[in-house]
Amino acid sequence: MTVGTFILKNALRNKRRATLSVLSVAVSLFLLVTLLVALRELTLPPEDIGAALRVVVRNKVSLANPLPARQRAIIERIPGVEAVSPFTWFGGSFKNEELTTFAQFAMDPSKLRLLFSEFKMPDDQYEAFQKDMRACIIGKLTAEKYHLKIGDHIMLASTIYPVTLEFKIAGIYSGTIDDRNMLFHHKYFDEATGELGTVGMWWVKARSAEDMPRITAAINQTFANTSAEVRAETERAFQLSFISMWGNIKLLVGAICTVVVFTLVLVSASTMSMAIRERFRELAVLKALGFRRRELFAFILAESFALAIGGALLGAGGAYLLFTYGNISKMTNGIFITFEVTPKILGTAALVAAGLGIVASLAPALSVARTSVVTGLKTLD
Amino acid sequence: MTENIVTIRSLSKIYQQGEINVTALNNISVDIRSGEFLTLMGPSGSGKSTLLHIIAGVDRPTSGECRVQGIDVARLNESQLADWRNQNVGFVFQTFNLIPVLTAYENVELPLLLTRLSRKQRRHQVNTALDLVGLGDRTHHLPRQLSGGQEQRVAIARALVTSPSLVVADEPTGNLDSHSAQEVLGILQTLSKTAGKTVIMVTHDPKAAAFGSRSIHLEKGELTN
Repeated sequence: MTVGTFILKNALRNKRRATLSVLSVAVSLFLLVTLLVALRELTLPPEDIGAALRVVVRNKVSLANPLPARQRAIIERIPGVEAVSPFTWFGGSFKNEELTTFAQFAMDPSKLRLLFSEFKMPDDQYEAFQKDMRACIIGKLTAEKYHLKIGDHIMLASTIYPVTLEFKIAGIYSGTIDDRNMLFHHKYFDEATGELGTVGMWWVKARSAEDMPRITAAINQTFANTSAEVRAETERAFQLSFISMWGNIKLLVGAICTVVVFTLVLVSASTMSMAIRERFRELAVLKALGFRRRELFAFILAESFALAIGGALLGAGGAYLLFTYGNISKMTNGIFITFEVTPKILGTAALVAAGLGIVASLAPALSVARTSVVTGLKTLD
Repeated sequence: MTENIVTIRSLSKIYQQGEINVTALNNISVDIRSGEFLTLMGPSGSGKSTLLHIIAGVDRPTSGECRVQGIDVARLNESQLADWRNQNVGFVFQTFNLIPVLTAYENVELPLLLTRLSRKQRRHQVNTALDLVGLGDRTHHLPRQLSGGQEQRVAIARALVTSPSLVVADEPTGNLDSHSAQEVLGILQTLSKTAGKTVIMVTHDPKAAAFGSRSIHLEKGELTN
């Protein structure tokens, strides 16, 4: 027998309790990892490859306020600007769904590949999209979700504009961070809505990263003190402004994580205390046989650690396997496209488990250290 | 002439229970010779177990001196005392106190985990100890698979495995039937007579005390003979 065998045998002496303890740690750590990953995904969206060169221009008042279409020509003339495309949210509901289940934007197809080089689709599909004003392209995930294929016709009833439009699917793209969106001709939108002369936003591509600050400043300056003042910002800043709309979600998720960890500590400490309390007499015998306080503390700590790490392997490891190899888009009904369990999150879970092992063992270890052999031997089994 | 293994002089032990002082041992002086099988007798609360605990180094006297093999055990710190117990004292308890999840072999091996012996050396010592108590064929049995008498014999093997010079037994036959008690007492007697171990046993039972080479009586914390 080794010391390790002895510790393991003690940890597993009450198999039901050990199993339940490991499962409680596993479930809690699974939840913790899930929350941390969700928080990361919500607050730190992955960046597009071309995001560093894109500027998003919106109405300074709010995103809901449109911009005049005439601004396009002015923006295009700003030195360093490579391409400009309108981007207008259509907000259409598909089939009988009440809400908009995937984003649809009206834009300029001729600028698509200039603006978004990461869009992957065959050339013939892209050409077909450009040629037909009523054509659209959809992301691979949406196509899979609704079993749509090239050549299919779909109807979308806008929840913003009083129009219902019919589109022909010309292409299915992939390779972006969110292969769910649908893009169609702004001309078709303008025609259907009666030439409103407005757009939702402008998406601008700069020639180089060095041009970005100057272009952003120039756009803001150009439309200052006009009837439609704009707010031009990098794509990254634009994404972060969306995140701020989540309000205090970070605080909320942080609070839930704290509660999870705190509950976990209480449950584990209680389990360890129970496990040690019922062995007080045995521990007193070990003391009598010559085991020192530090050795008994090491036994208790190791036992507590074994249960916590077992739970961590099951919970955090299970979360890693599920989120890495599972179809997260399907699991979350398309809410999350990626759900990356980063090494940092796994490290956090491991630290929580290690901390848990230590904290849960402190009270019983102190109690054992304080109790004399004679008192321990008098303890009833 | 056989030398003394235990020398006790003016030993007192006073417990504090709230505001009341309870005298468990009052000015005890006694010598125990090496290889002796000494039985401590007396009614409940007479202080015999307290005396045994102080000799074995699991309790400390309030005053006086208890020297075992010339060492004043009360002066050792906790860590030194633990080492000293491991090397010099074998414990046998009334309720056996075996670890239920360990086999007979593993229970006996437990004190050896604190030594620097190799696995092979440990195996040899464990098997020797188990053979000595007649349980060489029960090595892989868990305590619950053994009878009370067998459990106590495993406990004796555990007490002997480190080859201590002193074996202390606190009512070792208290939970056993008469046949098993005879067996256990016979083993303790053999240890004293043939292996030269000093055995100190606390008992209520005059029949058990008869196995010892000497008996001392305590009453209200004082020696009566």
